[in-house]
Amino acid sequence: MRNFAVLLLKEETALFSSPIAYVVMTVFLLIMGYSFTLTLFLSHQPSLVHIFFQMFVLFMLTVPLITMRLLAEERKLRTLEVLLTAPVSEIEIVLAKFVASMSLIALMLLLSGSYAAVLVLFGDPDLGPIYSGYLGLLLFGAALVGAGLLASALTSNQVVAALISLSVFLLLWIIDNFGWLLPSPFDALVTNLSLSVHFRPFAVGSVYLSDVGFFLSVALLMLLLSVRALARR
Amino acid sequence: MLAQHVSKWYGPRRAVTEVSFTIEPGEIVGLLGPNGSGKSTIFRILCGYLAPSSGTVAVAGYDVMTDSLDVRRAISYVPEDAPLYDHMRVEEFLRFMARIKGLRGASAASAVEAAAARLDLGAVMTMPAGKLSRGFRQRVSIAQALLGDPQLLVLDEPTSGLDPHQVIAVRDLIRALAGRHTVLIASHVLPEIEKIATRVMILLDGTLLTTDALKGNREHPALRLRAAGPEAAIRAAITAVAGVRSVAAVLGDGAAETAAPACYLIEAERRPALAPEIIAVLTGRGIAVSELSEAAPDLERIFLDLTRRPLKAAA
Repeated sequence: MRNFAVLLLKEETALFSSPIAYVVMTVFLLIMGYSFTLTLFLSHQPSLVHIFFQMFVLFMLTVPLITMRLLAEERKLRTLEVLLTAPVSEIEIVLAKFVASMSLIALMLLLSGSYAAVLVLFGDPDLGPIYSGYLGLLLFGAALVGAGLLASALTSNQVVAALISLSVFLLLWIIDNFGWLLPSPFDALVTNLSLSVHFRPFAVGSVYLSDVGFFLSVALLMLLLSVRALARR
Repeated sequence: MLAQHVSKWYGPRRAVTEVSFTIEPGEIVGLLGPNGSGKSTIFRILCGYLAPSSGTVAVAGYDVMTDSLDVRRAISYVPEDAPLYDHMRVEEFLRFMARIKGLRGASAASAVEAAAARLDLGAVMTMPAGKLSRGFRQRVSIAQALLGDPQLLVLDEPTSGLDPHQVIAVRDLIRALAGRHTVLIASHVLPEIEKIATRVMILLDGTLLTTDALKGNREHPALRLRAAGPEAAIRAAITAVAGVRSVAAVLGDGAAETAAPACYLIEAERRPALAPEIIAVLTGRGIAVSELSEAAPDLERIFLDLTRRPLKAAA
């Protein structure tokens, strides 16, 4: 892993020198700021639960934009050839891209922390659900970035990579609705694949090991598959 | 480098068929073949970017599949069309490449400086790679390959897109690398390979037709003779010299105006004092010799002969 830091620096530079990062952050903060203000003035409740659910949906729409270029662009521009004929491992490449993307997610969450700061300054919010909500969003973001990275590893077309990610995210968002229609034990199986089923407890202040494990497992599995996709040439 | 029975399939299409060759340290080997003959596929396999469908490749004693990182430490690759990170400045790109090749701190800085000086990149070091001309992109790509002092340099069409001055500069650079580095260079341009390589391999439709196209020329050099006199007498005199295999009259300058041909191509066994002996025999018989020189190997003829043969066999 001696080249990880070098690759990470390259990824961070690429990410923050492209307009996508700033557009995604701006759109995210504008929509969330508007939603936060509106919810606060209408409900008069010092809570971020609604905001967390909206961030959950917005993440599914914005993460494909962050991850689509990660490997698809390298493949299309053939810089992957330069990278993979140098003495760097596929694991280092995938991890550097994952951590760089997560840094943007973390930055977005950090900036949205201003909403929590407003609540703390002017009200008396229950901090438990705020901490758990942010933890949930971070883990959820990791799973999405992992899946987006895999989609980007499978194609050289960024639009195709984004559409694959978006389709998978939307399917896994609503899949629990189909779960109720299935007989046992398939109902539980399908319901437990749902992203919203695993995120909901975080948003309302409950942290279950099973939900943490779900998001971490998805992220890890996606990273492993991305490494495999990159190694299979 | 040792490649043994390397084949590569892309789905149902076979791109490379049972390719085997050896490259000794310090050689400059040219891989010549038309576009689409499989040169880039072979190079990608040698550098560990593609896995062969069958066969093995060893570089500096390491297997390209099982010890891929060790192989990649020994090899530097210049892909065709010089892919670069367009958002990076040239200096930043070279520093990045130096660092992933294991160079750190002052050694990375001095390696970047040396490579940039060698490829004359001083004027573009602060420019983003995306804004470079084709020629500069190619030179940056070659500069990154020199970082880390690799044992083997693999260059895929390194002079494509360069102007004649740049082509000469790159050619000189590659020649200067001989001995210190082993160089494998691919091109579909005959004169290019002819001027750079010490050994030429020819590839057609994924099949290696020869691993040393110039071997015949080395063992049986061709001498070009310009002499005035009756053709029969000249032929008789030359064939009397030990080691001469054949004499052929060829068109020389002004040959059309004279009754007898003035130029001859002599194929002979390689042995010392052959040329002085031919001159002595000819002048001894009263034939004036105005020129006797070693003819450059006619790679074009060899290439056409080799590439026509499989087509005839197939027909």
